Amino acid sequence: MWGVFMNALKWLWGYVKKYKISMFSVLIVTALFIVTAFVIPIVTGEIVGYITNENPNKNQSDLFFYIGLMLGGVIFKEILVYTRAMLLENMSQNTIKNIRTNLYGKLQSLDCSYFDKTRKGDIMSRLTMDADTVRIVIASTIPNLIDSLFFICVGFVVMFGTNALLTLLLLSMAPFIAVLAYFLSKYVKRTFVDIRESNAELNTVVAENISGNRVVKAYAREEFEIEKFEKKNKKYSNAHMSYVYTWAKYAPPMIFFVHMTNFIFIFVGGILVINQKISIADFTVFNGCLWCITSPMMAVGDFINQFQQFNASSLKIRHLEEEEPLVKNNNVQKRDTGLTGKIQFKNVTFAYEGDRVLKNINFSANPGDTIAIIGPTGSGKSSLINLLARFYDPTYGTIYLDDVNLKNIDLKTVHQNIASAMQDVFLFSDTIKNNIAYGAPNATYEDVIRVAKLADAHDFISKLEDGYDTMVGERGVGLSGGQRQRISLARALLKNPSILVLDDTTSALDMETEFSIQENLKLAKQTKIIIAHRISSVKNADLILVLNQGNLVEWGTHDELMALDGYYKGVFEHQFGDFTKAPKYHIQHPAFVDLTNAGGEK
Amino acid sequence: MAVNRYDKDEELNVKVDFSYFGMLKKYIKPHIKSIVICVITMLVIAFLGLLPPYFLSIVIDKCLPNKDYNLIIILGVVLLVSNLIIWLFQRIKAIVSHKMAMNIIQNVRSDLFKHIQKLPFSFFDSRPHGKILVRVVNYVNAISNLLSNGLFNMITNIFTMFVIVGFMFAMDAKFTLVCLCGIPIFACILLFIKKRHRKAWQKYSAKQSNLNAYIQESISGMKITQSFAREEENAKIFDGLCGESKKHFMKSQYIGVATARIVNIISVATLCLVYYYGVGRVDSGAIQVGMLIAFASYVSRFWDPIIQLTNFYNEIVNVGAYIERIFQMLDEPLVIENLEDAKDLPKIQGNVKFDDVTFSYEENSPIILKNVSFDVKAGESIALVGPTGAGKSTVINILARFYDIQGGKVTIDGNDIRHATLSSLRSQMGIMLQDSFLFSGTIMDNIRYSKLDATDEEIIEASKAVCAHDFIMSFPDGYNTEVTEGGSSLSAGQKQLIAFARTLIADPAILILDEATSSIDTETEMALQKGLERLLQGRTSFIIAHRLSTIKNSSRIMYIANQQIAESGTHEELLQKQGKYYELYQAQYKFLEKM
Repeated sequence: MWGVFMNALKWLWGYVKKYKISMFSVLIVTALFIVTAFVIPIVTGEIVGYITNENPNKNQSDLFFYIGLMLGGVIFKEILVYTRAMLLENMSQNTIKNIRTNLYGKLQSLDCSYFDKTRKGDIMSRLTMDADTVRIVIASTIPNLIDSLFFICVGFVVMFGTNALLTLLLLSMAPFIAVLAYFLSKYVKRTFVDIRESNAELNTVVAENISGNRVVKAYAREEFEIEKFEKKNKKYSNAHMSYVYTWAKYAPPMIFFVHMTNFIFIFVGGILVINQKISIADFTVFNGCLWCITSPMMAVGDFINQFQQFNASSLKIRHLEEEEPLVKNNNVQKRDTGLTGKIQFKNVTFAYEGDRVLKNINFSANPGDTIAIIGPTGSGKSSLINLLARFYDPTYGTIYLDDVNLKNIDLKTVHQNIASAMQDVFLFSDTIKNNIAYGAPNATYEDVIRVAKLADAHDFISKLEDGYDTMVGERGVGLSGGQRQRISLARALLKNPSILVLDDTTSALDMETEFSIQENLKLAKQTKIIIAHRISSVKNADLILVLNQGNLVEWGTHDELMALDGYYKGVFEHQFGDFTKAPKYHIQHPAFVDLTNAGGEK
Repeated sequence: MAVNRYDKDEELNVKVDFSYFGMLKKYIKPHIKSIVICVITMLVIAFLGLLPPYFLSIVIDKCLPNKDYNLIIILGVVLLVSNLIIWLFQRIKAIVSHKMAMNIIQNVRSDLFKHIQKLPFSFFDSRPHGKILVRVVNYVNAISNLLSNGLFNMITNIFTMFVIVGFMFAMDAKFTLVCLCGIPIFACILLFIKKRHRKAWQKYSAKQSNLNAYIQESISGMKITQSFAREEENAKIFDGLCGESKKHFMKSQYIGVATARIVNIISVATLCLVYYYGVGRVDSGAIQVGMLIAFASYVSRFWDPIIQLTNFYNEIVNVGAYIERIFQMLDEPLVIENLEDAKDLPKIQGNVKFDDVTFSYEENSPIILKNVSFDVKAGESIALVGPTGAGKSTVINILARFYDIQGGKVTIDGNDIRHATLSSLRSQMGIMLQDSFLFSGTIMDNIRYSKLDATDEEIIEASKAVCAHDFIMSFPDGYNTEVTEGGSSLSAGQKQLIAFARTLIADPAILILDEATSSIDTETEMALQKGLERLLQGRTSFIIAHRLSTIKNSSRIMYIANQQIAESGTHEELLQKQGKYYELYQAQYKFLEKM
C-alpha cells in the first residue's frame, strides 16, 4: 500500500515541481504563520500578567502595546494565511489544468480501439472528479498535514521538555489510533472503489437514457427505464452507506482515543499534580499545548480518506496517461504538400476482436478516381475506410498512399488529406455554420455556403429561421436524417481533401437530391470512395468493389459487373427492374448464393 | 434550436431563490424522526465537548488546592463516560444522518429521472446532453453532504452560539454588549462580500458546467475530431475553458477565503476591546480578574460557530446553485402528457384517421401540414414519400403523439389519441425511427427491449424474420454479444436490423418504419421484405423510405408536398396519373439513361 502511495506522490511531484517558487513561498509563509500562531497566546499571557500586576505604577502604554501587538499579530497572521491559501489554490488550479490538458491531449491521440472498449462515463470522471481529488490534496490535505506534523513536533518538544512521564502517558493513546487508522485506511479504500464504480454505472444508465430518449418514448419503455435506473440509484446509495458503516466503525473509536488524552490529562495529570509529581505551572503549559497533538490526531481520519481517494484517483488518471494508441505515429514523414489521392491496398487483412473483418483485399485507385464499395450489411465496407483513414491498422498487408506506406505518413497529414462523411452523423452542439466549418475553423461564410450548395444543403438551411446560425443539438437530432447527412457532407467537402470518403452518406436522401449532389461532385477533382447501397450512387464509379463477409468478391466497372451476372447484377435488377411488370421479382438471399464463385478472376 | 452549448453560460437568477430550498421540504419531511435523533445526538456531543475545559477549571480551582481525590475520580469517571457516549452518538449520528441524506437524494434523483422520461424531444435536442447528465448525477450527489453534515452542523452552531451568548449575558451584560458590537461590522462586511461571492461562485459553476459539456461532447465526437485533424483547435478551446474555470474559481476564492480571514480579525479585535475595557473595570474594582479571563475565553468561543456558519453559508451558496438547477429541471414543463380524462386505448384494430390536421413544430414556425385528412383501414400498408423535409416524419410523429397538433383530430379505431394514455398508445405501436439507438447490454437484451417477457425462441424467430440471425450468429458470442454504448461496434445496417427485430417482437398493431432500412443493403432488404410480407399481415403499417423498391408493394402510397397530401394511390395508379410520384420514379430512369 505504501509503495502505491509513494508512486502516486511521485506522479504528483511531476506536475507540481515546476511551481518551486510557489512551493518555496508557501513554506516560508507557513513557517511565519506557525510562529505568529504562538503570538496570540503569549500576548494574552502578558495581558493577564499586566492585569494581575498589583503595582500601582504600571505603565498603561504597556497595555496599549500588547493590544496593538495582538491586533497587529492577528492581521499579519491572517494576511499570511490568506496569501498561503491563494498560493496553494493557484498552484492546485494550475495543476489540475495541466492534468486536464494532458489527459485531453492524450484522448485526442488515442485511436478508436480505446474508445470502443472504454465507457464514456469513466473517461468523463477522470477529467472531472479525479482531477478534483488531486486539487483537494494539493490545496488542503498536504498543507494541513504539514501544519499538523509541525504542531505535533513543537508540541511534543515542549511537552516532553516539561514532563516526560505525562507526555508518554498521553502518547500511549497513539498506538490505538494508529491501529484503527490502519484498518480504516484498509477498508475504506474498497468502499471508495465501490462508490466510484456505482457512480459510473449510474452515469452510464442516465447518459444512455438521455441519448436514447427517442427510443424510450417510441417503445413506451419509461417504466422499464425507471426500474433500471432505480437499481443503480439504490446501488449508489448502498455503496455510499457501506462507506459510512466503515467510517462509523473505525472513526468514532479513533476520536474516542483522542478524547481520552483529555481524560488522561485531567485525571492522571491531576493526580500527579496532587502527588506533586508535576508542578501546577507545568500542568498549565501542558494545557496550552494539548491541542498541538490532539487536533492533528483528530484529523487522522480525514487525512486517510483524502489520501485514499487521491490514491485511487491518481491511479485512474495515470492509467489514462499511460494508455498508448495502437495506431502509432512513429517514424513518419511530415508532408507539407498534400497527398495526390493515389491509393493502393495490398493484401490487406483486418481482424477485429478475433473476427476477420477483411480478408486479403487488393485494389488501387489513381488520383481523381471514384471507387465505389457495395455489399451486404456487415461485409466490411466501413472497416475498409476505417483502415484507410488509419483509425485502425491492418492486421496483415499494407496500404499505400502516394506509394508510401500509410504507417509512415504523419497521422495529421493523413487526416488532413482524407475527409469522410460518416454513416453515423455526429454534429456538435453549435451552429450549422460552425459544424460545416469544423475541419476549417477559419473558413469564411462564402466558403461555407459554397460547400453547402454543393451538398444541396443550402436551400433547407436558408429556410431555417436563423439560417446558418441555427444551433443544432448533439447528434443533430433537431434535423432529419437527410439534413444531417448533407451537413456532414458539406463538412467533409469544405476540408478540400485529396481523398473524399462518403460512407453511406446519401442513404436518407431522396433520389432527386442524391442525383443533384452527384452531379455536383462530378466536378470535384478528389479521389472519391463511396459506400452505398443504391446502385444509383455507385454506378458511375471507375471501379466498383463488391464485398461479402470480408472478401472482395467482385470488382470492375458497372458494365463489367453487369456482364458478370453476379451479386451486383442481382442488386441492380432489383432496384431498377420495371416495377410495373415485375412485382414478384425474386433474388435469392445471400445465404443461398455461392458468392465465393460469383466474382470473376481479374 | 439549441438553447445552450459549451461556450454559453446557463442563465441563473441573480438573487438566491430560497423557494428552491423550500422545494426540498417535501423530501425532508418524512425524515423528521431521523432529524430529531441527529439534532439530539449532535447537541449532546457538542455539550459533552464543552466539559473538559470546565472540568479543568474545577480541578485547578478546587481539587489541587484541597487535594480532593474523590472529586477528581468523579470527574474522571464522568469524562470517561462522556467520551464513551460521544463514541456511541457519533456512530449513531453518522449512520442515521447519511441514511437520511442518501434516501433523500435517491428520491430527488428518482423524481428527476422520472420527470425527464416525460420531457419532449425538444428538451433533449436543445442542449448538450452532458448538461442534463450532471444535474441528475453530480449535482444531486452534491446535496448529500449538505444534508448529512452541513445542516446539522448549522443547527449545532446556532445552538452553541445562543448558549454562549446566554452565558455571557448571565455573567455581565455590559461586556456582552461590547463583545457583540463586532456583529454589525461583520454583518456589513458579509452583506458586501456575500453577494459578490455568490455571483463569483455561480459564474464558476457555470464555467465548470461548460467544461463538462465540452468534455462529454469531445469524447462522443472524437472520431470526427480526429478525422478532421481538429485536435489542435479543440485543445485550444479546451484550454480556454479550463482557463475560464480556473479564473472564476480563483475569483470566488479571493472573496471566500477573505471572508473567513476577516471574521478572525474581527474576533481578535473584539477580544482586544474586551481587554481594554475590562482592564479599566478591574482597576476600578467593578469586576474580578477571573471573570475577565473567563469572559475573554468565551469571546473566542463565540466567534467559532460564526466562522463555521460563514463556511456553511459558502456551502449553501455552492449547493444552492445546484439545487436551483435541479428543481428548475423538475419545473421544466411537460409538453405532451396524459390528459386528466385519459383512458387506456382498447386493443388497437388499426383504423387510423387524420381529420383536418394542421401542424407546426412551434407556434411561430412554418406550418408543416395544413388541413390534412386521410383514412386508413386496418391492415393497410401506407407508404409516405416526398421531398426531404416535406413532413413525412411529421405524420408519424403526430400519430405516435410525440407532438400535439394545432388543429383537427387524429383517431385510432375512432378514439381520439389525445384522450388516450401515452403508454397504451405507444406500446401498441411498433415505431422504428431513423436513429436506431441501441443500449449497452447483449443483443438479446436489446431485442427484448420492447417485450420484456419475450422468450429466447421468440427473439431468435424475430431475428430470423428480419434477416439478422445470420450475422448475429457469426459473432463468437452470438446473441450474448455485448453491445457497447450506442452500438459502436456494429455497422449502421446491423444496428438497424437489430432495431427492426426489437420493433417486431412487441407484435404491434400499427407498425411505423421511418427510414428503417436506409442503411441495409438491397439484398438483405429483399429478403427482409419477404419476411415482412408475412409479418405485415393484419397490421396497419406506415413506411417512409427513399428506395422505391421498398415501398412499391404498399397498398397505398401518399406523396406529401406543400403541406398537403398531393397524391395518393397504389404504385400503378400513381404511375398512370403521371404526377409527382411518376416524376420521382422516372428520375431513376433518367439516371439510367445517362449511363
